[in-house]
Amino acid sequence: MFFHIVLERNMQLHPRHFGRSLRENIVSKLMKDVEGTCSGRHGFVVAITGIENIGKGLIRDGTGFVTFPVKYQCVVFRPFKGEILEAVVTMVNKLIPDDMEFQSGDMPNYTTSDGSVKIQKDSEVRLKIIGTRVDATEIFCIGTIKDDFLGVINDPAAA
Amino acid sequence: MPLRRRDEDDDEMEPEDDEEYGEEGEQQALDDEELEAEEEEEEEEEEVETRRGGSSRKRRRSDFIDDVAEEDDEEEEDDDDDEDDYGGGGRRGGGGGGGGRRNKKPSGSQFFDLEAEVDSDDEEEDEDGEDDFIDRDVVAEEDDHRRMHRRPLLPREDDQEDVEALERRIQQRYARSSHTEYDEETTDVDQQALLPSVRDPKLWMVKCAIGKEREVAACLMQKFIDKGSELQIKSVVALDHLKNYIYIEADKEAHAKEACKGLRNIYAQKVMLVPIREMTEVLSVESKAIDLSRDTWVRMKIGTYKGDLAKVVDVDNVRQRVTVKLIPRIDLQALANKLEGREVVKKKAFVPPPRFMNIDEARELHIRVERRRDPMTGDYFENIGGMLFKDGFLYKTVSMKSISAQNIKPTFDELEKFRKPGENGDGDIASLSTLFANRKKGHFMKGDAVIVVKGDLKNLKGWVEKVEEDNVHIRPEMKGLPKTLAVHEKELCKYFEPGNHVKVVSGTQEGSTGMVVKVEQHVLIILSDTTKEHIRVFADDVVESSEVTTGVTRIGDYELHDLVLLDNMSFGVIIRVESEAFQVLKGVTDRPEASLVKLREIKCKLDKKTSVQDRFKNTVSVKDVVRIVDGPCRGKQGPVEHIYKGVLFVYDRHHLEHAGFICAKSQSCVIVGGSRGNGDRNGDSYSRLSHLRTPSHIPQSPKRFPRGGPPIDSRGRNRGGRGHDGSTGATVKICKGPFKGYRGRVKEIKGQTVRIELESQMKVVTGKSTFDRSCVSDNLAVTTPYRDTSRYGMGSETPMHPSRTPLHPYMTPMRDPGATPIHDGMRTPMRDRAWNPYTPMSPPRDNWEDGNPASWGTSPQYQPGSPPSRPYEAPTPGSGWANTPGGNYSEAGTPRDSSSAYANAPSPYLPSTPGGQPMTPNSASYLPGTPGGQPMTPGTGGLDVMSPVIGGENDGPWFIPDILVNIRRSGEESVGVIREVLADGSCRVVLGSSGGGDMVVVLPVEMEVVVPRKNDRIKIMGGALRGSTGKLIGVDGTDGIVKVDDTLDVKILDLAILAKLA
Repeated sequence: MFFHIVLERNMQLHPRHFGRSLRENIVSKLMKDVEGTCSGRHGFVVAITGIENIGKGLIRDGTGFVTFPVKYQCVVFRPFKGEILEAVVTMVNKLIPDDMEFQSGDMPNYTTSDGSVKIQKDSEVRLKIIGTRVDATEIFCIGTIKDDFLGVINDPAAA
Repeated sequence: MPLRRRDEDDDEMEPEDDEEYGEEGEQQALDDEELEAEEEEEEEEEEVETRRGGSSRKRRRSDFIDDVAEEDDEEEEDDDDDEDDYGGGGRRGGGGGGGGRRNKKPSGSQFFDLEAEVDSDDEEEDEDGEDDFIDRDVVAEEDDHRRMHRRPLLPREDDQEDVEALERRIQQRYARSSHTEYDEETTDVDQQALLPSVRDPKLWMVKCAIGKEREVAACLMQKFIDKGSELQIKSVVALDHLKNYIYIEADKEAHAKEACKGLRNIYAQKVMLVPIREMTEVLSVESKAIDLSRDTWVRMKIGTYKGDLAKVVDVDNVRQRVTVKLIPRIDLQALANKLEGREVVKKKAFVPPPRFMNIDEARELHIRVERRRDPMTGDYFENIGGMLFKDGFLYKTVSMKSISAQNIKPTFDELEKFRKPGENGDGDIASLSTLFANRKKGHFMKGDAVIVVKGDLKNLKGWVEKVEEDNVHIRPEMKGLPKTLAVHEKELCKYFEPGNHVKVVSGTQEGSTGMVVKVEQHVLIILSDTTKEHIRVFADDVVESSEVTTGVTRIGDYELHDLVLLDNMSFGVIIRVESEAFQVLKGVTDRPEASLVKLREIKCKLDKKTSVQDRFKNTVSVKDVVRIVDGPCRGKQGPVEHIYKGVLFVYDRHHLEHAGFICAKSQSCVIVGGSRGNGDRNGDSYSRLSHLRTPSHIPQSPKRFPRGGPPIDSRGRNRGGRGHDGSTGATVKICKGPFKGYRGRVKEIKGQTVRIELESQMKVVTGKSTFDRSCVSDNLAVTTPYRDTSRYGMGSETPMHPSRTPLHPYMTPMRDPGATPIHDGMRTPMRDRAWNPYTPMSPPRDNWEDGNPASWGTSPQYQPGSPPSRPYEAPTPGSGWANTPGGNYSEAGTPRDSSSAYANAPSPYLPSTPGGQPMTPNSASYLPGTPGGQPMTPGTGGLDVMSPVIGGENDGPWFIPDILVNIRRSGEESVGVIREVLADGSCRVVLGSSGGGDMVVVLPVEMEVVVPRKNDRIKIMGGALRGSTGKLIGVDGTDGIVKVDDTLDVKILDLAILAKLA
């Protein structure tokens, strides 16, 4: 599920960035630092949508670095158990062959016995998350396509 | 069952109560009930007991107490026949043997009768016994007495003398006893009371002939019957599972001995007392006999099939034999030979592998196969030479003794095999559920999700509420059911749902955690957290847990993901730890090769922190992120976990094979981003880097160190080997450890350790750690005369390039880091000052040593000779600072960064600096493109610093004609051959690998030497042999083994100074 939330982060900035474009520097550094990361608490930070507030910078002793507390709005994504998602297959590996058959080779894929449905890399599937494991910096989910209306929704191979 | 029996008892109770009030004595003849009782008695316990008739001990008990005791007996009868026999038997004896006494002790015998009756009820169920040898007369007599007591009850009832009193009495008595009856928890307490105490007769263990235990017991019984009370023993017990011994219950040892006198097969010389504590154990029934039922998994104990898994198909308790189903181990050829009467060579050592019997195959060998129907089961069996086969399995009837049924844990493989010939799913469940037969106690815990797998409630899910001995109370998931249900433990199985995160607590996979992805009956498929592979485990072996562990990650000194050196000098990363062995991804780059390695095959762990160069000669150290651009794993990317011999072990968590590890040549990787290494490590790698590089330029400038000899780092390569080093005798200051701050003279340098004679303490200290050399800071330049000179020389060498002056200092970190990566870097500017006449001797030295960045601010000042560069330089250190992501200003980190910054600084503005300098812009230009303090490869900076130096020394270009270069211009990459090196350092390059394309002028910044491979023709770009050509005959890490054309010598040279010849 996606959330739009406000998060806070202390940004350390090198003195050379001080000046007129300080704010921009902070923002660009923040984006670089934060976007694409994952925290177990909030999930994956998808994008920063705005800066709420940049606090007063504090110069750190001995280094000249300045720490700014930055409050920013961002879109985070966090998967939940039971959630239904649409996802793109990035990798097919042999895990549990179920009613579909694993075919290894150049383009490993899963195929139903009649060959009508194929899941391979870049296929889009709709799945239901049945389990999540949340670490400090990683969220790990297991999903199933064994349910009504789940499964391949767009197959690049078919197209 | 107990309930039903209770009812019966209650029925009997009432008349009995009356009995208490009535006078006993009215003796009546046997009625038909007696006959019935007699039959019951015939079916005795397995334990043969002789009851002592005339008990010397008179039991005087109130009726009330007796009754209570009686209840208890009933309760425990199921589990504890011996107790029953013990108590009840004795009393029964009172009724049976001592015929006369009954009259004297009426109240007691009343009770005994009842008891005896209840007993026999029980025995009827427990049966088992043969014991035909119980004298029917005795029993009859016994029953006779019992009857006699019963009779008076009924007339008594008619009395009606005091109904109310009677009622009260009943109330009083049964109010309590009923409580006792139904509340299971009190049973334990009551049973405690029945345990033997010191006053009770003791158990004596007497030796007898093997196999004659029962016979001996029977003889003793007979003797007792014959002799009556003369024999002062209470009972005799022969246990089936105990060979060679019987137990005699008697008050005194002498009594037991006396009883044994004159009997065959019994050796009463040695009579051992059974401690009171162990008495109950002697007679408690072993559960193993019960466990052996159909479909139980067992293992063969002896014979060809020893250790093999077998499944019980039939149990014959009477004959103590079991029919089991096995996968046959039959050598058909041998069998054929034997059946045809040919000579059979008996090879003892050879045990045929288990294989399903193929009847057709047997027929082909002319083995007679009979097809027969088993009269008992109606199944057809193939009979080959007396062996029965069905569906390929061998059906074998063996003695119960030759199989073990305790703690059988079939592995998946074995079960799979058994399942093979089309056994349907149901059979499988059933067989699996029998696995529970011997699971350990305490298996279920409160809160566990469980599912009922057997019985009426099958498939009912629930949660464990309470666990008792055998029963588990579960709270069912379904509505409309009682709050809790008691289910037998064996009917339950743990239940998991896909998505649960679990931990394996027993079995081969013990310790690993993962997420359940599939549930197949009792088998879970778990996606392991560590290996990202799926593992199959029994639901029983698993508990739900949020913990993430890696399973067993360590055997001995070796841990998962360690780099290890193997026996055959190959090396690899441990990617999986199995029970006894490791799976190791070998350090072969052309294809992933994993092998199973035993602990003893591992020589040692490799944890050297080295760094190597990637394709673009950037330094790669551990933890740096690289992308693999060549080879089978092209495109993968991840942090470097280990480096050894120029091979990188990269961890890509998206790579699912080999636990995410990929093995790649350093040459086929490019570093992504910057070095992530922390200061300390980088300091280290830095130093290595320098030693990797230095050989190239040391020989180049032989006159550079006219007196002092080469500095420490120039011998870095030899560090481990030769003892002496240039800096021996130098005065140094120790900057770390317990001797921090002390000055001293270097006595000896050996590998990584330095022995220093301390000035102040008159003693010699040795540091052993690898860090030691870096802990030793060069002292003031003044105190190392040879250095000073050399610097002077260097400085003066290039008077017309003032801007280069600051460059030289960087050499110091390069050169010295082997020993002093940190402080040298910092101090160098200062040294410059020392000799640079322009520089005011300003900041105190200590400032520098503390890594105070403020001192860096002064750096531009020491280059007054190069005013134009000053304004530019000022910011550059800044960018150097920015290189440390997160502003991690450790002491170690600082100098490194700053030095690289310095290195970069001059270059863009001094394009004319000849030689290797152009290398620097590489990084310099890279820097500005990384805003926000993108971590820069400090290594890069460091490396590049080198080049100007080399250039400076040679007074000539770094590039030389005829070598292949990669040209990178405006994002394009092309290959070219240098034709001519121009004065300003740029080169005329002919495009195309064979030199057939256009001629262009390329700045050194834009090109890069093509790294030669084995067997390539090369040209040496640096060192004493600069300009020579040769052939690269081998690569060892970062060294190339070169056969020089002119001299035909084989030289070991740094790969960095080798260029591929066009």
